Amino acid sequence: MLLQQIINGLTVGGVYALIALGYTLVYGILELINFAHGEIYMIGAYLGIIFLGIFTASGLTQYSLFLSLFLTFIMSVIVCSAYGFTVEKLAYKPLRNAPRLNPLISAIGVSIFLQNYVMLTQGATDKVFPHVLPVTTVKFLDVTMTSLQIFIIIASILLMAGLHVFIMKTKTGKAMRAVAQDKVMASLMGINIDRIISVTFIIGSGLAAVAGLMVAMYYGLVNYSIGYIAGIKAFTAAVLGGIGSIPGAMIGGFVLGLIESLGASYLSSEYKDAYAFIVLIVILLIKPTGLLGKSEGQKP
Amino acid sequence: MIKKLFLILCSLAVLTACVKKEEDGIKIGIGGPMTGDQAKMGMDFKNGVTLAVEEWNSKGGVLGKKIELIVGDDQRDPKQAVSIANKFVTQGAKGVIGHFNSSCSIPASDVYNRAGIPMITPASTNPQLTEKRYPGVFRVCGRDDQQGKVAADFVTTQLHLKRLAVIHDKTTYGQGLADEFKKFIGDKAEVVYYGGIVQGDKDFKTVLISIREKKPELIYFGGIYPEGGLLVRQSRELGMDVPFMSGDGVIDPKFVEIAGADSAEGTYLTFSPDPNGIPTAKAFIEQYQKKYGELGPYSIYAYDAGNIMLKAIEAAGTTDGKAVMDKLHSMEFSGALGNIKFDAKGDVTVSPYVVWITKGGKFTEHWKP
Repeated sequence: MLLQQIINGLTVGGVYALIALGYTLVYGILELINFAHGEIYMIGAYLGIIFLGIFTASGLTQYSLFLSLFLTFIMSVIVCSAYGFTVEKLAYKPLRNAPRLNPLISAIGVSIFLQNYVMLTQGATDKVFPHVLPVTTVKFLDVTMTSLQIFIIIASILLMAGLHVFIMKTKTGKAMRAVAQDKVMASLMGINIDRIISVTFIIGSGLAAVAGLMVAMYYGLVNYSIGYIAGIKAFTAAVLGGIGSIPGAMIGGFVLGLIESLGASYLSSEYKDAYAFIVLIVILLIKPTGLLGKSEGQKP
Repeated sequence: MIKKLFLILCSLAVLTACVKKEEDGIKIGIGGPMTGDQAKMGMDFKNGVTLAVEEWNSKGGVLGKKIELIVGDDQRDPKQAVSIANKFVTQGAKGVIGHFNSSCSIPASDVYNRAGIPMITPASTNPQLTEKRYPGVFRVCGRDDQQGKVAADFVTTQLHLKRLAVIHDKTTYGQGLADEFKKFIGDKAEVVYYGGIVQGDKDFKTVLISIREKKPELIYFGGIYPEGGLLVRQSRELGMDVPFMSGDGVIDPKFVEIAGADSAEGTYLTFSPDPNGIPTAKAFIEQYQKKYGELGPYSIYAYDAGNIMLKAIEAAGTTDGKAVMDKLHSMEFSGALGNIKFDAKGDVTVSPYVVWITKGGKFTEHWKP
């Protein structure tokens, strides 16, 4: 039972971690809590249903399920990234030099706008993800896993590893780190700040799209309000790990997933959502910067 | 210039408001979840009542006046339900059909009671609603204690099961139903798990894993179809193949859609008998299908509730709340569901619950107590 709950927690945690990365990336660079990020995740889930619907209608799914799903992922990531890019250009860029509270309010506004926009265009009722995936369960010891769970855990770990390599090894990654440290200095060194910020939003939104799509496939149910609670949870994960820290967001996500899962099974399932926030409060009291965060003054 | 324009607009607004006042029909409120995850139920309500009202209006309305519908969206939220109820009162509604969730109907009934407006709910089955003995609260559906008893009888006398798990969604309806079920099970079987989940949550695997450890022979759920569907789906994903049983909140095509037809196969649900088998419902079903398509589980109840309200107003000869309530208590109504009479509490005198089963993605009647 313990092992089963851990697997379960890791699945959910992987999704939290992917969304949390979007929060942490943006915070690292702009010191802005992008409250619209949860909505991007929700849009990703909807896009998955829409694109898969299109591919199924055109007969691609019947021809090759793998190809159809692969294209669905690619298309959702591209469109979601476009959303993230546009949101930054329209709602945050004009406010870059304004007091810090202004972009925050703008972010909340974008979040409300996107939620209602999806509600009006897609309807307020639950959308069901098409049952195209064969549900194969794998059993070992006393643990039952669906193939989708394995996929979610592996995919989220691979994406995070990929992101880590991107940030640490590539030129753009290096530029992102430089901008996070000191925007003015970075621009003096010839780094195009606007471009780096756009890249950050694109990456964050792309990860959220993958998370949204995986959740839509896993639970099979999507509605316009899922971004809110997922956003809050992922934000908690980001703070738990230390906001601004990329490994922190990954660890925070998994830890949060595990806490929820184990709390719900060994204490009481009725307060599942509360455990995450209790742990957050405890962490903030004991170590305000989060598990891996560093205090503002000595940002590396 | 802008100031002038504003003035003109203001005066126009006042004018249109006046015009609206003059045509003064009899206002009937419909309260239910019109948006959100239970929006389908709210729409079924609206369609059912609209059909009834259109029939009355085409015959010249009631008391010589046209009937006007005001739709209120309570978003299945008790707080919202109270504000909708207050809105109905200020807009001058003469009667209310609603709400869907017991957790909404109960607080809203306080508001209607204070304002002296009669309300008929087509779907709220929690016993507490009518136990308050408000003179103006009625329901055309059954009560959870009746429903829980049928479910408990079925499980113990037909399936002969000994180990049961009971889950609820912590709402007035869900927990109420689960508690009634548990009460009637008594010592005829062992309840090996009893616990709540959060409405609106999507991941129930943690709960289901704990339940799996207890090796129950059946899972009983008190709640609504989105959670019901996910519970069934996720329990099958965890390799549990025990039968699943629930109440009238789950009996909706969306349940099968969410769970997947394979997973939903064999699910038992308590509900009133199939309207297709009721001779008096035939005309209604034809009309409804022509206008709105497939019948929702509560469409027919909403239709009857609307008709009963209007008949009572007609018989009372006035829209005065007190007089209408008296008529509702004393008259016997013949509706699409058959003959309906309310007892002193406002409950229907006969409420036939039966057990349905899900087969090949469709619901069919399975057992009559």
